[in-house]
Amino acid sequence: MNHAQGWPPDEGEGSYAEMSSNPGDDSVQAEVPAETFVFICCAPHGRVGTSTTARLLSDYCLATRRSFAGFDADPHEPDYAPRFGERVANVDLANVQGQIAMIDRLLVADREPKIVDLWSRSFTRFFGLAQEIGFFDEARGKGVTPVILFHADGAEASTAAAYRLAATFPGVETLLVHNEGAAPLGGQAGERLANERLAAYPPHRRLKIRALDAAMRQALEPNDLSLSWLLIDPPREMSLVVRSGLRAWLQPVFSQFRSFELRHAFDSASFLS
Amino acid sequence: MKPAVILVGADKGGVGKTTISRALLDYLAANNVLTRAFDTEFPRGTLKRFHGPITEVVDITQTADQMRIIDTLNAAQVKVSVIDTRAGALGGVLKALRDVGFLDAVKAGEYSFTLLHVLGPSIASLDEISEVAPYVQDANYFLVKNHINDTNFFEWDPVTHRHYFEKVRPSGELTIPKLNEMSYEQVEISGVPFSTFVANKTASGDPANQSFVLRGYVRTWQAKIADELNRVKLLDLLAGRD
Repeated sequence: MNHAQGWPPDEGEGSYAEMSSNPGDDSVQAEVPAETFVFICCAPHGRVGTSTTARLLSDYCLATRRSFAGFDADPHEPDYAPRFGERVANVDLANVQGQIAMIDRLLVADREPKIVDLWSRSFTRFFGLAQEIGFFDEARGKGVTPVILFHADGAEASTAAAYRLAATFPGVETLLVHNEGAAPLGGQAGERLANERLAAYPPHRRLKIRALDAAMRQALEPNDLSLSWLLIDPPREMSLVVRSGLRAWLQPVFSQFRSFELRHAFDSASFLS
Repeated sequence: MKPAVILVGADKGGVGKTTISRALLDYLAANNVLTRAFDTEFPRGTLKRFHGPITEVVDITQTADQMRIIDTLNAAQVKVSVIDTRAGALGGVLKALRDVGFLDAVKAGEYSFTLLHVLGPSIASLDEISEVAPYVQDANYFLVKNHINDTNFFEWDPVTHRHYFEKVRPSGELTIPKLNEMSYEQVEISGVPFSTFVANKTASGDPANQSFVLRGYVRTWQAKIADELNRVKLLDLLAGRD
């Protein structure tokens, strides 16, 4: 099953809500948040799971019957772009054309989520540019809500980069992403050490992505495997064990995305304040 | 405030005189200084293309046009006049200003005179400096290094420096930073002042559809130029404040 297979699915084809652990809850489907989110998946170091997060966010959008616009800022070895066809543009932020192609689009307040997989080597360039041209202020002015998903990796340089970002862009919501598979912070010492290392970061809300075992990881590899379709109509050739394992892995991640959206919806509900 | 003339010039072409004049007009407008401009690139007038409403194209070698500039300095409501000289005309313009008595009037304190001398990357620019020396004794004389077209400037060899600066003492140096080619070209195509481009407006004041990235680059570039002009206290010089 791949993403070219007609998304969002037609009525009656099922959705993430219908396939979720609470079948009676169909509030997820077709509900469009009032805000235009720009999710910037980033880290100062490579191989810590930014492409996985971008992929998960994209599939979450599709699973909740919403379109999105994605940007893969790794012009050399894109991992995110090939999975979603024309939905994700591959851009090179080293040149002005690439900057225009991505940043101008990010500032369109059309309620369509934008998802950026920021190449680690473009990390400094992008945030430097954002500061130089006033990207985050402009976004706020246009009704766009940027969200930085900073991926922890436990290195001191990573912690320092997180503090620098928080100091440079104090008003920008940041989530600290811990991908236990790509960047295991605890190692053999386990969760306690991981929590200690995460505590060294600025006090952001966290997003946790559990580690997968080798068989599950391998099953995730093919570019044409759609995680949103997997919930509804898993490939028949896929092992039942792998299927249920992947679903069990996806559900908590999607729940965290959902809770993020709900929190924003509550925050913007004026009658509650 | 006494009437002020700011001359932007160089004898060499292609060093960015008009770009600097445009940036200067934006800076003055941003600081609420009413300004008029004269474009001596007769009859074409590149500056007029960008700042049409406040710019007149003049042939500074003609008496009638000299009168249009000089004789109206006192009468005009607008007290600051920017003159953008065409390539190769700096010496001629300075001579014309001397011949009509303007430089004497500056010496007598009637007018304020500022020369922004835009340098090219070659040693010929140093020769230009000595050529303008006789005309700038009473002027605020600034050497401008324009990096907008990626010019690499020669290092100022101390001996050469002394030789050329025996006769002239510049008030200071201004450095115009580089603006990336794409942003520059887009403003050129739009044919509007830099500030209008940044504000995402057309020449007629309607909303435009310019790239935010390019506007951001231009805004940052303008801010750096403003920092430079603030550093040399240009507004104070124009207002006659020490």
